[in-house]
Amino acid sequence: MAKELLLSGCAAAAQAVKMARVDVICSYPIRPYTAAMMELAKMVNNGELDAEFVHGEGEHAQLAVVYGASAAGARVFTGSSGVGVTYAFENYSPISGGRLPVQMMIADRALDPPGDFGSEHTDAMSARDQGWIMGWAETPQEAFDNHLINYRIGEDRRVMLPQFVCQDGYFVSHIPGKVKIPDQAQVDEFLPPYAPGTHVLDPQQPCSHGPQIRPDQGAIMDLQRGEAFLNLPPVIEEVIDGYNRIMGRSYSPWVEEFMTGDAEIAFFLQGAHAATARHAIRHLRDQGVKAGLVKLRFVRPWPARQVAESLSKFKAVGVIETSTSYGGSMRGGNLLAEVRASLYDLPERPLTTSFMAGLGGDVIPLQEFYWMAQKLADAAKAGRVEKTVYWAGLEH
Amino acid sequence: MFEIPKDRAVPFGCVTAAPVGEQPMMITGNWREYRPVLDQEKCNLCMNCVAFCPDACWQLDGAEEEVVWNAKYCKGCLICVNECSTDALSKAYELDFPDGVVRLEKPF
Repeated sequence: MAKELLLSGCAAAAQAVKMARVDVICSYPIRPYTAAMMELAKMVNNGELDAEFVHGEGEHAQLAVVYGASAAGARVFTGSSGVGVTYAFENYSPISGGRLPVQMMIADRALDPPGDFGSEHTDAMSARDQGWIMGWAETPQEAFDNHLINYRIGEDRRVMLPQFVCQDGYFVSHIPGKVKIPDQAQVDEFLPPYAPGTHVLDPQQPCSHGPQIRPDQGAIMDLQRGEAFLNLPPVIEEVIDGYNRIMGRSYSPWVEEFMTGDAEIAFFLQGAHAATARHAIRHLRDQGVKAGLVKLRFVRPWPARQVAESLSKFKAVGVIETSTSYGGSMRGGNLLAEVRASLYDLPERPLTTSFMAGLGGDVIPLQEFYWMAQKLADAAKAGRVEKTVYWAGLEH
Repeated sequence: MFEIPKDRAVPFGCVTAAPVGEQPMMITGNWREYRPVLDQEKCNLCMNCVAFCPDACWQLDGAEEEVVWNAKYCKGCLICVNECSTDALSKAYELDFPDGVVRLEKPF
């Protein structure tokens, strides 16, 4: 029977992976993601889950193990956080180039300067251009659902791409929330067994994965992945529609809006801080500020049209970055650059600026949301933004 | 729609049928700056070149009377010259040969 449990984001991810009936799991410990592997190791040990559980020598080895297992036709799972994500970096492009639907959980963590356990999106965002699908969860429930949804998208024959399924470290990975767990039969209906197609390893028909190719073929390989991403949006919409129907959910595939009907200013962000943003917006509404929220569900593929449609109705939009891109065009993070590019072709664009917030594991307190809302209201009133980036809590 | 020239096509996911003997998708002989040259008189078939070549470019011929060189895949690393026990192998500048690889019309 379907049931409701109180689970952390890591435990919710492990439940989803178990219900996806994965064949091969490869672990290596690094917090905060590692709690998911602890759950899965227990499930394999007590016979709840029939999967090969391989302990890798490091994150690079983890990705190599699931690369090989996926090439052999297995449904695979791995994961990491922070510097573990960056240590495995070399393997990301070969896996997407090989069109293998590997799934990797990232419970994000600040990269070391020189050591920080807190949540920040920079680890995963650094890998956003490696040909993997990528998106964040706001709650353990969304994490659970995203793992199943991503297997279904990645393994679709029209897609065949790996997926980074991300959740904020600690804020999601370690704070328990209510998670509706469907029946196994519902999951089986939504997610059929992986049918890997013809490009898998088979002793009867030997083939080479990842061979050397000529430089004049490199562009063709890039085009293959490029086309796969061009074909992705309708598949994602179809899969999420199916998930909503079978599981009784109401996910929007691209962006989710909160109190945007009459909003003049809006926050735009992805992941856990959306929860605080909702509270802040309710308080701001009590004081007569017409604020709203737009939450991004996939950063790859980037939903340019839907972002433009959603944001064009506001006077001013504040992008909350939660990751860094030093020296970039927006002088802060990457999201504002993507947002502005999405808006560029509109005849009338909203004012946009960005806020560096939620970095290094910092919470974004309500006070900072109020301060950001004030900046947006000022911009809307003046008809212009002062600058492209503010460091919330660190400047006036 | 995109048009992919036939001679540049890449299979899905770049997964190729396992090569039998040689991999025609990746000819590396044209990376060479120097090539090893064999003096048959000095060769005693010690097989060091066969054993040490990282690309299996030295093989015994069918009659097992001499070692033969595969110009298509030899990158000119010259490990064989270093390992030759009778100094039968020496290095020679690629440009000195009429079929020197840099004279190919298309480098790759």
